[in-house]
Amino acid sequence: MDATLINLMKDPAGVPFFPVVFQGLYILTWALHAAFVLLALGAFGLSLYGSTKQKTDSNWKIFNPHLIMTGKFSVSMLILLGIAPLLFTQVIYDSGWYVANTLSGAWVFIFIYSLITGYMMFYWYAAANKKGKSGNTIIGLISFAILVFCGILMHNFAVESISPTKWMEWYAPNGVINNSGFNFHIDIIRLAFMVSLTIPVVGIFMQNYSDFLSTRKDFSSEYLTFVKNLGTKLAVVGLLISAVLFVVWMLKEGLLLNPVVLATIVSVVVLLLLAMRNKNSYVTTGILVVVALFISGVRELVRYNIMSGLGYDLYGYHMNLEIETITMFLLTFVILGFTGIAFILTMAWKVGKREGVFDASKDVAVTKLANATLAIFILWTAVYFAWGIVALFKNTL
Amino acid sequence: MEMLGLYPVFYVPNFGSAWLMGLTGTIHILASHTSVGAGMLFAFLAHKAYKEDRPELYDYMKRYGMFLLIFSYVIGSITGPGIWYTATAASPRGISALIHNFVWVWATEWVFFIYEVIGVFALVYFIDKIDRKTHLKLTYTFAIASVGTLALIIGIISFMMWPGNDAFYNTGSASDAFFGMNTFPHMFLRIGFMIMMSGIIGMIISSAMKKDNAALSKELTQKMGIVSLLGGFVTMFFFMWYIMTLPANASAILALPSNSGIILQRIILAILFSVYFLVAIFKPQWISRTLAIVMLFVIGISGVWPGEKLRESMRKPYVAGQYIYSNNIIARDVPGKGIKSEVPILAAKGFLKVDPWVPERLRTITPENKLEVGEMLTKRACSNCHSLETNGKYRPMATLIATKLPGKDAATINNYMKNVIGTGAVSYMPKIALPDEEYDAMAAWMATQVK
Repeated sequence: MDATLINLMKDPAGVPFFPVVFQGLYILTWALHAAFVLLALGAFGLSLYGSTKQKTDSNWKIFNPHLIMTGKFSVSMLILLGIAPLLFTQVIYDSGWYVANTLSGAWVFIFIYSLITGYMMFYWYAAANKKGKSGNTIIGLISFAILVFCGILMHNFAVESISPTKWMEWYAPNGVINNSGFNFHIDIIRLAFMVSLTIPVVGIFMQNYSDFLSTRKDFSSEYLTFVKNLGTKLAVVGLLISAVLFVVWMLKEGLLLNPVVLATIVSVVVLLLLAMRNKNSYVTTGILVVVALFISGVRELVRYNIMSGLGYDLYGYHMNLEIETITMFLLTFVILGFTGIAFILTMAWKVGKREGVFDASKDVAVTKLANATLAIFILWTAVYFAWGIVALFKNTL
Repeated sequence: MEMLGLYPVFYVPNFGSAWLMGLTGTIHILASHTSVGAGMLFAFLAHKAYKEDRPELYDYMKRYGMFLLIFSYVIGSITGPGIWYTATAASPRGISALIHNFVWVWATEWVFFIYEVIGVFALVYFIDKIDRKTHLKLTYTFAIASVGTLALIIGIISFMMWPGNDAFYNTGSASDAFFGMNTFPHMFLRIGFMIMMSGIIGMIISSAMKKDNAALSKELTQKMGIVSLLGGFVTMFFFMWYIMTLPANASAILALPSNSGIILQRIILAILFSVYFLVAIFKPQWISRTLAIVMLFVIGISGVWPGEKLRESMRKPYVAGQYIYSNNIIARDVPGKGIKSEVPILAAKGFLKVDPWVPERLRTITPENKLEVGEMLTKRACSNCHSLETNGKYRPMATLIATKLPGKDAATINNYMKNVIGTGAVSYMPKIALPDEEYDAMAAWMATQVK
């Protein structure tokens, strides 16, 4: 498929803001999404091992339900955080994304219902594990396999969307159209690299977990040391595996000496050293976020190089500037989003730090954040209706 | 060569592709509407529990919340983006139009959604871990965030029906597109349904509490009956307003003989649902968990699926904003966005010359490839609404031809295509004006499918 046709598939409505902004938002939100994908699969995978050990090992008996809870919450977060990059990629790379979705339409449908089945089985696994029922590992294994399969399908969509030279061959092999939507194509090195990241991510999470609970008297230091040491081992070994796979992937793409790729490698080395030193896991997590942003940036670099190499003019996308709705988004995101999430996360942090009931009404920070969040929500609602009524009157009277 | 920005066609034999979205949409509506309704219900219950010092209501909220986490937040949060995915596979240019007009509205909804999902975990798991006053504030914000997600999506799905006036076409503004004349009636119609759904799910939870606390189970089942009845009334009231704000093509579809029973069917359903809710109010002990679960599915299957199918039908021949046909062809100019209608180009040149996805060997019709070209063109032009084969299930084209076109042969089909569909004479069908040889190939293939 040549550049003229890829550019032709851009939406005639144009983009509502500068494409580079969507590109930046894509990199940022994909990194957040990926962090929870990796944590979900890492925590879930490790919990399957834990479920075989928890009957005989007191440390695993405490740790495994926490791993399962982490995985369960992370799946919810990965879905939630996956919406934003899905949105932004459709704005600026619509041609690639929509071609991939139509070429693999049947897999799209299978993906949705597999994800529902896999996630519901995860809840089943969690409940069975809580009650100590036998067979919970089998349920967990099936659920885990389904969720990994969903990840592979997403990878398939991503690979297809950046393969314009093969689209026609996949849609009409030998000139005969295939509308079945069962196209399936993977890039094994790229996939292996992404999957390998689950190991260091869960390892660094375990270091965080241990540090966070160190102020609680109901968790022994022996138990916390066990979790932290295991986390360190996983982080170090996992990072070494990921680093090798990353270099192989970049060699294949011909991007190994690209400045963004070199910066990614440096950040991984820093992360490895911090994980090995194991002094302050919160700093390690901060660097992990930087690494995630770099990896997201590298993904975008690979896509941008392929598409622009074929003549796709991303920055020349016709623009119809939208002022009203971007203003709404920015104000909501910054004011309501930050205040609201700060309220819940501050409360959650303080609940987790102590035993028994946390009287947040006596905590100045939480109370102020709660009141501010409520007030902002009410104000937002009033503005919404006022705006709607004005627009309606303007256009209909 | 002038080409159109079309995408590959995805087609499920005997069904078409649109039903995939319909199925996912119906499941999503059940789950998501329940979650928003539950948000409002939780605010009411938490307020009552706090003011009247009734700790047992927190226990009910916790049970309800756990159910909600699986039913609404697993299914609802996956089928939400799932609608995007399946709609993309079926109508890529339709979903693209929505994304490119409303991306910032969707991004705003995402902020609300993040608060809602993190909020529901906090609301359920912190019931016993934080003080009640702070929990009440959390519940209030959760309720507003939940309703906010509706407030932000409603303008987009209302725009799918129509923008409400010509302002959007001239300005291209998302604000003009979002606040059409059926946005608010549509919103309150759904709020009513959400309240009703929260009561229906509430009855499943309360009826399951009989063994633990019979008096509380009875009280809550009664309350859920009242909530459901109130929600049902609000739904009916705003449905009537909503119907009055529909465009002419939607009213024409509603007036079709095949749809004559729909309003009557809605009335019968409303009476049946009301009887169920009245039983819950006056004879709460009759409501068992099994009955409550059965009624959830009865209401879901008999209420939501036909309702959503009707809404999708009433949009015809468009899929978004009355400027994109259901077969993904741009139907009219939108000067505010610089968009041009593609209908005249197709009429002059035909799909074979302007569809980039036509294999080279099929660009010229020959006696050998005529049926293959006809099948390809029919899938491109018709498969978004119709299943095409002899035994098609969903709006089956072969059956429609057999029953409505006497003769059933290629010449009759060709004549109908050219003089009825090609002129845009049927208000709910896209105007598909094509060169004669393309009609000829399509009609030849369609005739092979008619019994």
